Amino acid sequence: MSDGMSKSQKRAATAAALREEQQRRENRRRLITIGAVLAAMVLIVGGAILVSKLQSDKQQSDLESAVPPAGSSANGVTIGPDSAPHTVVIYEDFLCPFCGELEHQTHAKLAELAADGKVQVEYRPFDLLGGGNPESYSERSLNAFAAVLDSAGPEAAKKMHDLLYENQPSESGPFPSDDDLLALAVQAGASESQVKDDIENGGQQDFVDQATAAAQKAGVKSTPTVLVDGKLQTGFSTVDDLATQLLQEVG
Amino acid sequence: MKGAVHEWAGLVARLVTGAVWLVAGALKVTSPDTSIAAVRAYELLPGSLVEPVALTLPALELVVGLALILGVLTRGAAVVSGLLFVAFIIGIVSVWSRGIEIDCGCFGGGGFDPDASAKYPWEIARDSGLLLLSAYVVLVPRTRVAVDRILFPERSHA
Repeated sequence: MSDGMSKSQKRAATAAALREEQQRRENRRRLITIGAVLAAMVLIVGGAILVSKLQSDKQQSDLESAVPPAGSSANGVTIGPDSAPHTVVIYEDFLCPFCGELEHQTHAKLAELAADGKVQVEYRPFDLLGGGNPESYSERSLNAFAAVLDSAGPEAAKKMHDLLYENQPSESGPFPSDDDLLALAVQAGASESQVKDDIENGGQQDFVDQATAAAQKAGVKSTPTVLVDGKLQTGFSTVDDLATQLLQEVG
Repeated sequence: MKGAVHEWAGLVARLVTGAVWLVAGALKVTSPDTSIAAVRAYELLPGSLVEPVALTLPALELVVGLALILGVLTRGAAVVSGLLFVAFIIGIVSVWSRGIEIDCGCFGGGGFDPDASAKYPWEIARDSGLLLLSAYVVLVPRTRVAVDRILFPERSHA
């Protein structure tokens, strides 16, 4: 009797041990599966990050090699001598508020450094926000800038550039009228009779289109896009950072 | 009976959230520069973190989307999905309250958008809805038509 008990107990114990073993194996299998799936996911995420990173680096170096050096393009206005130890290229849109903020924080200092021969800066305004519409403020302001450049030369054009940013409208309007733009052009040093027709009738549309096409061709997709000594400025968080970074590198 | 309803509803929740992630991730993963600009526009992260975050998010979205659609490690994927939605809701509320007008960059794009303020409430509502769906998937242990069912067969005693 007692033998029988112990036999059935043994059987029960063996069955329990088997079940336990089976359970352990099942748990292990689950863990391995989870690990394998997680590893596959990490691989996919890592691969996608790597591809994006390579692509981003490539876009950056493509842009750097496609952007004409400071002082060399027909689509901007340049301050500072060719002999300056640092060069800066700034792509901007007269409507873009970050560009306005960058201008506000850097234009005085850059003008001073350029006058001292320490930096050459080329401002290349183009139409980013106007979407190619000649009626947009981006294009109207650029057209007015080009009219001043064409009739009164680069110095007046730089003044017009600064004035346009000083009087920058909000992106949602209201926008300056043709008369307002004309008044700024005259203030910048252009003669009213020479720029009036251009400003009122979009007479510098060719300049606008060329400047915009040149920026697009170089791969500029946002404003402000800033290159210092041919290197695209990245790694900033805000426009304040960008302004500080820019001035530090050329100062 | 009730369990089966939840299993099917869980499948729908998985597919909806998963598809959103998949599309959002796929649209961004191919244009890293746009993502970087979009993340920068939130003015939330220090400069050195902008690029790593901008490159990681689309990849993560893609994988979470895939996992949810296929039903692989469903619960974990749903937890990550929920956390991401919480982060995005915080991001949008943050720019909204600071008066910054940007495209959320949720499906590519990003940067300034003059009509942004009008879109923020709808974007927050959308993300909240998707957050609820993610939470639901976390709570429903097993859903229909999931790879998990093959990888992790029901335990006999469960």
